[in-house]
Amino acid sequence: MIRKQPWYPIVYMFCVTAFFSTVVIGFTRLTSERVEANQRLALEGAVWAVLPGVQDETLSNPELHRRFTESVGLPDESSGGAYTLKEDGRVAAYAVPIEGRGFWAPIKGMIGVKADKKTITGIAFYEQSETPGLGAEIAKSSFRDQFRNKEISSQDKPLIMRRPGETLGRSEVHAVTGATQTSTRLEGIINAGLKQWQTQMAGKSEGGER
Amino acid sequence: MKSIGSENKKLIVEGLWNNNPIFKQVLGICSTLAVTNLVLNTAVMCAALVFTLSLSAATVSILRSLTPRNVRMMVETLIIAFYVIIVDIVLKAYWPQMSSNLGPYVGLVITNCIVMGRCEAYGNSNPPGRAFVDGLFNALGYSFILLIIAIFRELLGMGTFLGVSMPYFGGAYWDKWIIMVMPPGAFFMLAVVVWVFKSIQGVKEDKAK
Repeated sequence: MIRKQPWYPIVYMFCVTAFFSTVVIGFTRLTSERVEANQRLALEGAVWAVLPGVQDETLSNPELHRRFTESVGLPDESSGGAYTLKEDGRVAAYAVPIEGRGFWAPIKGMIGVKADKKTITGIAFYEQSETPGLGAEIAKSSFRDQFRNKEISSQDKPLIMRRPGETLGRSEVHAVTGATQTSTRLEGIINAGLKQWQTQMAGKSEGGER
Repeated sequence: MKSIGSENKKLIVEGLWNNNPIFKQVLGICSTLAVTNLVLNTAVMCAALVFTLSLSAATVSILRSLTPRNVRMMVETLIIAFYVIIVDIVLKAYWPQMSSNLGPYVGLVITNCIVMGRCEAYGNSNPPGRAFVDGLFNALGYSFILLIIAIFRELLGMGTFLGVSMPYFGGAYWDKWIIMVMPPGAFFMLAVVVWVFKSIQGVKEDKAK
């Protein structure tokens, strides 16, 4: 009988694995386009959310993507690695990518800056796994809205997070209650991202004047 | 026909109550602790487990006469992983927001002790139909406990239910219990739930004697 053979478990295992793997691979192939599109849309959504005046919640996903490719400039050297919104051939705003370690996993997002390179137009995240209800509040509009019209400070820290309840200056926002770790790390991520962008922009404009 | 019906009935009572995976067997509590701070996340997690557990128990059962005993656990893990990956892919493709909310926990269903436990204890030695029913009701037994925990954690910790602010708890009078949202809150809640349910069960058992 075949099942008594010493090689039977190996052959059996091989066949079973081959079968299930094939189905999974097929399934992955079928959906891979959608998965990639979702990731791209999440990033584009974050860029949209921080650029001033372009957000329109009623648009469908393909429509959003079409408008994105039409009016948003991809990162290049002249924008210091930021996405740009162009109006009449001139840069109207920048969406600066920010990225770093959060409390549990990486936080990735965008921070919008006006053409004056000082005024912040918004902040959005397209990847974060902070604690739901605590750190994850950074993705809610109640937290994100406070960044609008803040100014990037020329001091050591471009933006500062204060404890909830404290009075705020022009470059300060409130941290998330109960999520000290997320807040501190996010402050670091934002400032590192902004500083890097500023350095790249500064280096570029010096070169341009020569 | 009648015997099949009563057999299924027994499986249902066992899975949901007498032998509930959470408060009786205390299995699979890793996910109980991890994803129960929002009701919606928990519901999706439960749905994933219901799908995985019932189908993998049935599949294990279908293959049971072919599977050599010495490699049966490898085969079981393979089957479980297969269903979990399907759930993961579906979430990534059609509900990316939920997929990122649950993060690695969908993948961790593979190592959920309840799934392996049911495949080993029941699927391995019973026909597919009954294995399916057994898996289904064990998963539902797990789900209703998880949902109870999640409802309390979200309500006490955030003052909301399914993200909607609740009267009193969402207001200024209620000082939100932040610890309920954090991992320790899950331990407290789980302990309380196990305590309450075991007490109810204990009373019934005493009466039966």
